[in-house]
Amino acid sequence: MKSEKPDKPIIVAEKINKVYPNGIQALIDFSIEVKRSEVLVVIGPSGSGKSTFLRCLNGLEDIDSGRIVIDGIPLDRNKNHRLEIRKEVGMVFQAFNLFPHLTVKENINLAQKLVRKKTGTEATQTTMELLGKVGMPEKADTFPNHLSGGQQQRVAIARALAMKPKIMLFDEATSALDPEMIGEVLDVMKTLARDGMTMVVVTHEMGFAREVSDRVVFMEEGRIVEEGSAAMLERPLKERTKIFLNQVL
Amino acid sequence: MSLLFFTKNFPYVTERHRPALDAAKIVFAVAAVTWLAVRGTQTIGYHWQWYRIPRFIASVDANGLTPGPLIYGLGITLMICGIGLVLAMIFGLVAALFRLSESFLARATARVYLETIRNTPLLVQLFFIYFVLGPILDIDNFTAAVLALSLFEGAYISEIIRAGIVSIHRSQWDAAYTLGLNGFQTYRHVILPQAARRILPALTGQSVSLIKDSALVSTIAVYDLTMRAQEIIAETYLAFEVWFTIAAMYLVLTVALSFTAGRMESRLWTDVNPGGL
Repeated sequence: MKSEKPDKPIIVAEKINKVYPNGIQALIDFSIEVKRSEVLVVIGPSGSGKSTFLRCLNGLEDIDSGRIVIDGIPLDRNKNHRLEIRKEVGMVFQAFNLFPHLTVKENINLAQKLVRKKTGTEATQTTMELLGKVGMPEKADTFPNHLSGGQQQRVAIARALAMKPKIMLFDEATSALDPEMIGEVLDVMKTLARDGMTMVVVTHEMGFAREVSDRVVFMEEGRIVEEGSAAMLERPLKERTKIFLNQVL
Repeated sequence: MSLLFFTKNFPYVTERHRPALDAAKIVFAVAAVTWLAVRGTQTIGYHWQWYRIPRFIASVDANGLTPGPLIYGLGITLMICGIGLVLAMIFGLVAALFRLSESFLARATARVYLETIRNTPLLVQLFFIYFVLGPILDIDNFTAAVLALSLFEGAYISEIIRAGIVSIHRSQWDAAYTLGLNGFQTYRHVILPQAARRILPALTGQSVSLIKDSALVSTIAVYDLTMRAQEIIAETYLAFEVWFTIAAMYLVLTVALSFTAGRMESRLWTDVNPGGL
């Protein structure tokens, strides 16, 4: 289905450990590599460390030990490294997290101007292109509160894409949506995947996983239980994976 | 009239105005207060001489309209409050950011400032700055007054600002950081604009306090409105007339401020309610 993919990993996570201040260990010696243009789907029960893993990849959470390298840049204590990585890694959240005091256009323009140092005109041009791509160019001057959940999430995706990221992280991007709006967001994500974006997607949408994932990882209690191609969803090898998949399907 | 809570748009109350009814209520309230004042002074046998008051505000002569001492006093009060308010906001913002900072030193500094200011009387701070620091730093009484007032109100404002900042959900920081914004940009473009509109009512209250507290600067001989009033009373013994007059002048200032803040508030919430509050 996909075109050629260079083999060099763009995301490297080696033996990362993350313990929250309340003593809960969210990730235990967690290692994974993601190749360029690969779509990695992460599934697992809540509390299994999926979201923590995503949040560690762009430095929203500090890891306690281990090593993360994104596109050759190590994610360490160096603030500049962290900012560089965040420029290249877009993230979409379950609760959209749009800026409520800014219009749709201003939401998408903001980081282009501040971080990419674009002029207002340049930023707006990119913004309008992206709004066209996610199918809502007429909403540019609307405030987020006046949009449906599906529309807000599409704006959030456009906002992330405006930074021209090399990697996109999706943290249960459709979990807060009404059923009839899930499709419109998944469609945008599928298009992205087909266009060759490197994506790490935490989701409960098995249909999406089956259709676009190159690899599926099943996590529990901070560890990888099983990983494989999308076919794993039909014929899991591990008993635990089987039980989980029966519950969500 | 929708009295308290259970209106359809709560908490964004859209009050229906009925001009005639509102006017009647105001007339009634003013009449009641006047009657109370008149009765009160009758019982102590006070002899009102309101006709002597206007010339202290302004007088008309060959040169045209000449402002009286109360207007000069009002000018000084306005200057103290204007500069004081700007400085208080700056002190407040810096102290709030210090308290939320990762640096222990910054947090400790803010804490010491806050506790010192909030736990001692403004009058004492005013005297300390003018009589103790004044000669050392070579500052005059006007500067001392502005400094004392803004340091004092700044401490309260810092707590209001801090409350506003921490009330913004963590996910807004996540979103801003994810887009590559640094700490300063996140505060400037994402957190503070949202905090500002939430804390505007409380800030207005604190600004009104600043205007009223500014009356204390008369104790270090700054010729503000209150000082002028005391001076006139000492000469004329028109205590009630003069105090009532300057009370009305303070009231004009504070009401104007509250009104402006109210207008700003409805402008800041356009995303929630496009027509204003």
